[in-house]
Amino acid sequence: MTRTAWKAATIAVALLAGTATTYAQEELKIGAIGSLSGGGTAWGLALQRGVTLAIDEATKAGGLKIGGKTYMPKLVMYDDQYTATGGKTAADRLVNLDKVKYIIGPIGSPPVLASVAVSSPAKVIQLSNGFAPAILKNDAKSPYNFRVMNSNVEFGPAMIKWLHKNYPAIKKVALIAPNDAVGQAVIPTLVEAYKANGIEVWTEMYDRGMKEFTPLLTRMMAQNVDLFDLNSNAPGEAGLLLKQARQAGYQKMIWQVGGPSVDEIINVAGPLADGFLSYETFDFSSPQAQAFDKAYHAKWDGIINAQAPGWYNAAKILFKAMETAGSTDVTAVRDALMKVEGYDSGMYGPVIWGGQADYGVAHQLLLPFWIVEVKNGKSTIRDKLTPEKR
Amino acid sequence: MLSPIIIGQVIVNGLSLSAIYVLIALGFTLLFGIMRVVNFAHGAFAMLGGYALYYLYGKYALPYPLAVPLAALIVAVLSLVLETLVFRWFYQKMFQSMIGLLGLNMALMFSSVIVWDVYERSIPPAFSGVLRLGGLILAADRLMVIGIAIIALLAFWLFMTKTRYGVAMRATADDVEIAEAQGIDTRTIYRLAFLVAIFMTALAGGLYAQIYALSPFMGERPLIVAFVVVILGGMGSIPGAALGGVILGFTESILSTFYGAAVSSFVSFGVVIALLIFRPWGLLGKPE
Repeated sequence: MTRTAWKAATIAVALLAGTATTYAQEELKIGAIGSLSGGGTAWGLALQRGVTLAIDEATKAGGLKIGGKTYMPKLVMYDDQYTATGGKTAADRLVNLDKVKYIIGPIGSPPVLASVAVSSPAKVIQLSNGFAPAILKNDAKSPYNFRVMNSNVEFGPAMIKWLHKNYPAIKKVALIAPNDAVGQAVIPTLVEAYKANGIEVWTEMYDRGMKEFTPLLTRMMAQNVDLFDLNSNAPGEAGLLLKQARQAGYQKMIWQVGGPSVDEIINVAGPLADGFLSYETFDFSSPQAQAFDKAYHAKWDGIINAQAPGWYNAAKILFKAMETAGSTDVTAVRDALMKVEGYDSGMYGPVIWGGQADYGVAHQLLLPFWIVEVKNGKSTIRDKLTPEKR
Repeated sequence: MLSPIIIGQVIVNGLSLSAIYVLIALGFTLLFGIMRVVNFAHGAFAMLGGYALYYLYGKYALPYPLAVPLAALIVAVLSLVLETLVFRWFYQKMFQSMIGLLGLNMALMFSSVIVWDVYERSIPPAFSGVLRLGGLILAADRLMVIGIAIIALLAFWLFMTKTRYGVAMRATADDVEIAEAQGIDTRTIYRLAFLVAIFMTALAGGLYAQIYALSPFMGERPLIVAFVVVILGGMGSIPGAALGGVILGFTESILSTFYGAAVSSFVSFGVVIALLIFRPWGLLGKPE
């Protein structure tokens, strides 16, 4: 054989081998929805990056082994602009155009409620995160719809019980919340939880996008409240509320049963954030966080948003359910999701599903959470709590 | 609620809000007054002023009294490129300018997302203390804004009434053709007015970003505020912008404190709608 013929034969074999590999591994589209523009962009990026890291891991391991086949997961993500319209449009594209069977995200009640209205009738599994109880508690009984992070129904009562135990002198709390689906869903739950612990509540709503809260805070201070809860405010607004409250002379305790947005609040309020207590979804000082931190910073710079590990965890649970089901059939994967209780992705401990008593369906992932306090400009862990399984 | 301390605090809050609102509206009303351009990219220039101050004062630690005007000047001078490429095509074309500059606003906003990402940053405060006068509480950074607003308004008034260029600007605003017939180079005057307007906007944006927060999306609120203030006071009127800012600032302070945020927004925008129906040229504007 001449040298040219050898070269041709080698190329042909290489091409054939490449084709054979392509046929052995099928692509598996994983849809995602999140805010990639507008005020919720930090959360959308956290979702995108968390899921990307889980996909990278699966790819590095040679793909997902499901029922004798190997699938290579591929992320298809659209921006919802943190709006209901954006959430619906993104879900429509994923379901009807991209034909995905699984959607991860979005974050925030308005886009979640709008996208679930598209995914549920289409029998598409959706793993989302928003505080509105209606996300799980609805007429369709959420057949394919799961919430993969705690809402205030899970962490709120536990935090307020902790507050009452550790700060018994607190008798009156102020809640200033955005006047939209988020605020209107969160406030009643929190009011109920505070009242159950004998704490009187004063509430006030404002239009989202507002930056100047000083007059409202003057109004709040006239009520003689012992505690100011930043509740469901987005990171930027929560930071401004804290900063302006301190500048207006409010010296009592401030905390947030919601968010979390501790880093952003420290960034906006600076030294005024000292003494602030908050809900936190992840302990970045834990040993399991170190590996995640390393993988994250190998790809991206900057602060890791605390939601990123949660989305990584959600994607890993979905992949585990697919492998357990031995099929990519949506109903089989949905049933397998309920059977992966005890599986540990390495971030939060074993999977626990709850929510039957609150939503009529046990599709709520129960994650441990932390109470942190800002000391000298740094977030420090005060306590670790676990939601009650109901 | 009606204690002397609360009433005093309402007045202090009203003053502080008015100062911010007047500063934000000045550049917007100047562009309209001279060139009949509705600058929907106003918020983007305010945002650029915020980033300029972030670098000069926050990163490179220039002395604050130097960093504030220098940041605004850098944005204004660099924006002359946009004046040549975009703005000058819209002079005296009110409706076209709205759409064209809305597009420019989006282009600047999303270019900023690419350059600086979406995360909110904070510019270190120049003064972080709180002053207590009896029971009244005054944040030092707000006092500084009140001071800068008074200086800016005075300097602006002096420029427009006591300098040759200011008089030429007013003449051009009144009638372009007659101004040209009198030997005024209106192209130069337009560029100067643009420079001054963007300087004022970037100055206001820097202070706004320092008091609140800095991000590529921070311009939305200043745009709405400028629009409301200028409609209240009268499009193109400098004293109108000052009056509009004071009215909006005090209305918000009084209503938010005694009746809540929803009533405040409802009444503020309700007044603007009523004004547009019964006196569309605003309180101190001139009917077309």
